[in-house]
Amino acid sequence: MLKIENLSAGYGKVQVLHGISLDVAKGSLVTLIGSNGAGKTTTLRALSGMIAPTGGRIMLAGTDIAGMASHDIARLGLAHSPEGRRVFGTLSVADNLLLGSFTRLTGARPRGDVGRDLDRMYALFPRLSERRAQFAGTLSGGEQQMLAMARALMLGPEVLLLDEPSMGLAPKLVEDVFATIALLRQNQVTMLLVEQFAAAALEVADIGYVLENGRITAHGPAAALKTDPAVRAAYLGAAH
Amino acid sequence: MQILAQLIASGIAVGMIYGVIAFGYQLTFATSKTLNFGQGEALMLGSLVGWTVVAVTGYLIMLPIVLAFGLLQGAVVERLGVRQAIKTKSEAGWIMATIALGIIFKNLAENIWGRDALKFPSPLPEAPLSFMGVNVLPMEVAIVVGALAMMLAVEVFNRRSIYGKAVVATAVDRDAAGLMGINTSLVITFSYALSSMTAAFAGVLVAPVTLTGASMGGVLGLKAFSVAIIGGLSSGMGVVVGGLILGITETLTGYYISTGYKDVPGLVLLLLVLTLKPAGLFGRATIKKV
Ligand SMILES: Nc1ncnc2c1ncn2[C@@H]1O[C@H](COP(=O)(O)OP(=O)(O)OP(=O)(O)O)[C@@H](O)[C@H]1O
Ligand SMILES: [Mg+2]
Repeated sequence: MLKIENLSAGYGKVQVLHGISLDVAKGSLVTLIGSNGAGKTTTLRALSGMIAPTGGRIMLAGTDIAGMASHDIARLGLAHSPEGRRVFGTLSVADNLLLGSFTRLTGARPRGDVGRDLDRMYALFPRLSERRAQFAGTLSGGEQQMLAMARALMLGPEVLLLDEPSMGLAPKLVEDVFATIALLRQNQVTMLLVEQFAAAALEVADIGYVLENGRITAHGPAAALKTDPAVRAAYLGAAH
Repeated sequence: MQILAQLIASGIAVGMIYGVIAFGYQLTFATSKTLNFGQGEALMLGSLVGWTVVAVTGYLIMLPIVLAFGLLQGAVVERLGVRQAIKTKSEAGWIMATIALGIIFKNLAENIWGRDALKFPSPLPEAPLSFMGVNVLPMEVAIVVGALAMMLAVEVFNRRSIYGKAVVATAVDRDAAGLMGINTSLVITFSYALSSMTAAFAGVLVAPVTLTGASMGGVLGLKAFSVAIIGGLSSGMGVVVGGLILGITETLTGYYISTGYKDVPGLVLLLLVLTLKPAGLFGRATIKKV
């Protein structure tokens, strides 16, 4: 579904990604783990067109999207729940969700049943349902995270990119987030998940990739990575 | 007392015109953090195009034509003067470019319509109406109603329609709006188009009361700019109040002190606001959680 070949990208003269390759098969959950500053967020930004890659190819369902504008990439079905949530603070929760389905409401993507999908989001995230008329900026951090995920899902994506959905959340909420991701996985949503909680991410994922200083240093079935001594030492801590 | 009420009534009409032009400044500032310094010229062009068209079609059919012209003119300004500056994150590029385009539009207008002031036929009776001894021109009432209706229409569009919400989303977080599939460059072009459209509309509202002509834009654009600063570049409510404050102080100063000093209180107010409350009287910090 999503095939990245030799992707490089950076900011101005600073190169961050040095030719990474990565595959996300349809219906699978792939996780990208790595330490702070490894380039995880940069990878997702290059995929969704927030920054322009300097080299390589990004094939989304057979189309090379590398260098396309982010709105054109979204129209092809790539949804991105970005780092820092980035919800529209002065708009209501309901409006944020509607904007998630902008491509569907304006004919750029198949419309489907937007109303039914809204109801699904409210069922998946009951807290959003209670707060649908509230300004998104007044939500708690955890609620904003749910909103960012739900908003991305409203695109009806072919591929969903999630950048640290557990960031800044209390442990109980982190569990909830991973439970939701597992549920989406069951529903065949194709996902690329970037996470700081490597152990939890490898638990729910099918495939894992390890990113170090802009290069992929290990990849394979998530279960195998979890037991890989080098990965355990670097990302999972001795206790696991 | 009678005179005071009379002065306030005329101040309100002038103030609403300032307000609606200032509203146009807000529209482009919201989406792109840039302003069209040729906003006064957009008003002037709208008014002159209206002057030509109204002779053929009458006032009502002239209105949509002028609105369409305003949309187009604003889009041209954005494409020629602003887009490149935004792309290269140039701080001063758009300032120079929109001023330059304004001057070009003014010269163009002088060559087409001449330098003299032209009389714009009034669609409403020119005999004043009397409310408790205060005389008000029917066209002054139309200015207030028209200006409010225009601002209300834009607000309703922004709040109710999905395209309006896309405009607001672009204003709040341009990158995140792009991720929703919103073409944010197009939204910025659209906000320029809308901004010039409100100016053109103000032009054909005010022209029957004042006069029209190639030089009518400069002063109005400048005063509306100080209204936008006084009212705050982010508060729709603020430009109405700011416009009224300026319009009324002007007519009062013009009568009680001297028409020669008519522009002073507004400028003093502008300086005061800039010193004491730079975000504008009604400006507020946007709600943003990190
Ligand atoms: N907007 C930017 N401008 C310049 N450099 C940046 C920018 N964003 C990130 N970088 C740099 O790029 C490198 C990779 O950052 P990135 O945000 O991709 O890391 P990350 O793996 O997501 O880290 P974290 O786990 O902390 O989120 C870092 O060295 C960072 O300083
Ligand atoms: Mg990151």
